[in-house]
Amino acid sequence: MRSRRHTSHSGDEHGIDLAPMLDFVLNLLIFFIITTSFVREAGITVNRQEAATASHDDSGNILIAIRSNGEVWMDRRQVDLREVRPIIERLHIERPEDTVVVIADKAAKSGLLAQVMDEVTLGGVKEVAIGAASVGGE
Amino acid sequence: MRLRRHFDHDDSTGIDLAPMLDFVLNLLIFFIITAVFVKEVGMTVSRHGGGAGGPATGKETGSISVVVKQSGEVLVDNREVDVRAVRANVERLHAQKPDWGVMVTTEQNAETGLLVQVIDQVRQGGVENVSFGTSSR
Repeated sequence: MRSRRHTSHSGDEHGIDLAPMLDFVLNLLIFFIITTSFVREAGITVNRQEAATASHDDSGNILIAIRSNGEVWMDRRQVDLREVRPIIERLHIERPEDTVVVIADKAAKSGLLAQVMDEVTLGGVKEVAIGAASVGGE
Repeated sequence: MRLRRHFDHDDSTGIDLAPMLDFVLNLLIFFIITAVFVKEVGMTVSRHGGGAGGPATGKETGSISVVVKQSGEVLVDNREVDVRAVRANVERLHAQKPDWGVMVTTEQNAETGLLVQVIDQVRQGGVENVSFGTSSR
């Protein structure tokens, strides 16, 4: 009924009725708004150790990578160990619910991992996870 | 001109949705581009020793000690075991002292891969309260 009224009155001028398309697009928009998470990627890939109990951490969205040669990467650039704390402090103020995942290379020194985790804790983020790969893929 | 032509048809169509649709489509494209479908996998551990985190377990409750040496040896309760045997040892000790956590202590130069394996084994052994620290040497 409604469509017939549309075509008879305004079909010549407006062409297609845009309302259903708008509904669809709005649904898509809401989906992407909800699923977007603004992850701070480290910017490099490291060779991580597999672990069977590694769990998906939904809120872990500040990533710090440690390479086997001792470089620390976060936010797509290499940073000094002493820079980690102020950067974390700034990000923690912006979004206090963020947690940190420290992804260390298999061959990285665990002393450096401990230092980075200490800097993150001093920066105010209490929940720090050690990144691992889930067994069989990813 | 265009506005006036629109007004003629306002009785039947209501508001013109086209500008809103343009705007919403732009928003949609923005969110599609910025969407990152990354799910990090990791293991949450607490820290002990060092400067920042206090001890994970209080004085009144002890903890099972696991030491990772830089030579690749793993000591559970001061006894050298294979990496794959950590789980069984932790399970046994955990059964004896159910309220104890596990303290994993590594030497500074120990490899992270081994550390992650050990923590994984401990968690497989049923202990969720894992803390991690480095020995001062």
